[in-house]
Amino acid sequence: MKLLILALLPLLASSLTTPFKAELKKTAEQLIRPGYGLLACDESTGTVGARLEGIGVENTYENRATWRELLFTTPNLNKHISGCILFEETLFQDGAVSGKPHVTVLNENGIVPGIKVDMGLKPLIGGGPGETWCSGLDGLFERATDYYKQGARFAKWRTAVRIDTAQGLPTNLAVEEAAHGLARYARICQEAGLVPIVEPEVLIDGTHSIEETAKVQERFITLVYQKMEASGCYLEGTLLKPSMTVSGVDCPNKPKPAEIAQMTVQTLQRCIPPAMPGVTFLSGGISEEDASIYLNEINKIDRKGPWALTFSFSRAQQSSCIKVWGGKKENVEAAQKQLLARTQANSEASKGAYVPGSQPSDEESLYVKDYVY
Amino acid sequence: MSVSSLIVGGGGSHLTAAQRMALKTTAEQMCQSGKGLTACDEGPATIGSRFEAVGITNSEETRRIYRQMLFTAPGCENYLSGAILDPETLYQKSDEGVLFPELLKSRGILPGVKPHLKIYELPGTNGDTVMQGLDSLSVRCKEYVAAGAVFAKWRSPLVIDTSKGCPTDLAIRANMHDLARYAIICQSEGLVPIVEPDISLSGTHTLEESISINIKVQAELYKSMIDHGVYMEGSTLKPNIVNAGRDCPSSYTVDEIGSANIRVLRDVFPVAMPGANFLSGGQSLTEAAGRLNAMNKAKGNSPWNLSFSWSQALQLPLLDLCKGKGELQLEDMAKLYVEELEIASKAAKGEWEGEGGGHGTKRKLANMSA
Repeated sequence: MKLLILALLPLLASSLTTPFKAELKKTAEQLIRPGYGLLACDESTGTVGARLEGIGVENTYENRATWRELLFTTPNLNKHISGCILFEETLFQDGAVSGKPHVTVLNENGIVPGIKVDMGLKPLIGGGPGETWCSGLDGLFERATDYYKQGARFAKWRTAVRIDTAQGLPTNLAVEEAAHGLARYARICQEAGLVPIVEPEVLIDGTHSIEETAKVQERFITLVYQKMEASGCYLEGTLLKPSMTVSGVDCPNKPKPAEIAQMTVQTLQRCIPPAMPGVTFLSGGISEEDASIYLNEINKIDRKGPWALTFSFSRAQQSSCIKVWGGKKENVEAAQKQLLARTQANSEASKGAYVPGSQPSDEESLYVKDYVY
Repeated sequence: MSVSSLIVGGGGSHLTAAQRMALKTTAEQMCQSGKGLTACDEGPATIGSRFEAVGITNSEETRRIYRQMLFTAPGCENYLSGAILDPETLYQKSDEGVLFPELLKSRGILPGVKPHLKIYELPGTNGDTVMQGLDSLSVRCKEYVAAGAVFAKWRSPLVIDTSKGCPTDLAIRANMHDLARYAIICQSEGLVPIVEPDISLSGTHTLEESISINIKVQAELYKSMIDHGVYMEGSTLKPNIVNAGRDCPSSYTVDEIGSANIRVLRDVFPVAMPGANFLSGGQSLTEAAGRLNAMNKAKGNSPWNLSFSWSQALQLPLLDLCKGKGELQLEDMAKLYVEELEIASKAAKGEWEGEGGGHGTKRKLANMSA
């Protein structure tokens, strides 16, 4: 009887008729299985270049291949990482040392390759000061199909709004545009076989309180899901990558980790439906240790929401690692150990079992004002 | 450590911590597992026509005695978390002179009220309606609170008629926005709002069409509630059961119907709201119980409480007992009522072993050869 009921559920679901439906659900569940999260390494050429130059390494194709290869060949990475988000160049690239395609290395280790498909933030003409919109819908279906052929099985699109209550930000225009872009991207990717990770970021730049963040998130995230319904998305085959509910980085009132956790879970319980299998939080400038601590507090809460609450960190997993590497071959092993230390911390945090300070990190805040991907 | 109700975010941030705590506690009490609501909020004219149909005279006293039975039937308190009253009933007393809200509370049944509302037809929508009653609602809420009510209910009916394009987007938006505004007004006055988007059973639409319209309507409702600043944790839902139209020629098993309901809720119903109490809306007790039971079996890891808020499904069989007798058969009615409530309670836990709830040729629980 139960089997029959479970079999009936897909028949009565969204407008999605793509043959990929069952695979989308399976991939999404694989990505957020207990104790696992994502390593985000999809920085565009310019952005990863800034990171390389920060440790005195020239931004060349080969150096980028070497750096990403270091990450993907980290021994035991597949104990904590279920998927890696790649930039387009990386999806089609071979490791500089082994000559092996990155995608092959990942698949051999049981780590699902994902791909950033947005084409970046652009100034929102007609919006408020500094507001942006996210581009990339033109030709998306064709690109997504090519990415699937190359081995990607999930995608990511990151849009961002900023809070500045005095200036009336975010404007309705910015929020509507952001939600619309995310919903269209999600539906198109599902048609091409890629699980869309939907990323509605609320930037931490500013002086706003944690309550203001929650208000904006409630308005923003519910709009995203309403538009996803209208687009006929199959929610079981999607993931959400939101900001944790934190105060602005220059807010005089710094909330404690427990409060951040409460507000985050409360916001999500108000906004995201149960059909969506998991949340993979972004770090967005929060330090490595803080990101793990907040995720840990979040998972200690006895929540109603049945979805997984895990991680998809970029800077909050790579920051110490790249410093330890410093571009030197003899440091690769130590750098990989450092990466694994943070992925282990986050794996434990996703189960509410992380002991703060038990894994090494540099303590410097990763927040860079007006950070551009 | 669960999410504290003292945390201020978006929804309900204009309320005090104490107000939020009171609303959340009441809403959770309304949504206890295995318990539901008895809907006795028919206005004098509506209940009057039901009385007259079975040869009972409609009078204030008849209404009082009848409602008293619904509140005091021995054992009903085991299955009821709340009762929805018509405003008249709020001020009536038991035979012993105890006001009904007090009487209900003493039996562990929360008293709620349906304010008087009036249907209005939206011009240019082929017959779509909105429910009127927002004007002076806050004043009336104050009166209801003073009389002992702790929750309220507002019903926004919608009809599916694809040939006419109904329900129109305009009607959906207007009704769901009104429900959200009613909700914030209630919460400001200390009443937990039950929001009731009631999509009628009438029509020929398939179960699949019903699913997509129900998702659309409910998505608009929750968005509207969030945008209006409703404190979600202190509100509950009273939806229609997702069904094919009464005159739909296709057949569906009760399990398909149960799954369709879970499909809709999982796609849109926020877990912050503690539960849903489904209306019966023309379904018989066995139809409604069968479907409620099936959806509870199909619930999976969905956290909300799924229960009942029934009027006709419970009461019509009771009134039938009075046919040809000329007066209320209180003892027999009370007995049958509690038997029915036991069925409802089991269905609310997915433990009912009766048959019923299929649509068309699959009316009875189909013989599943797995």
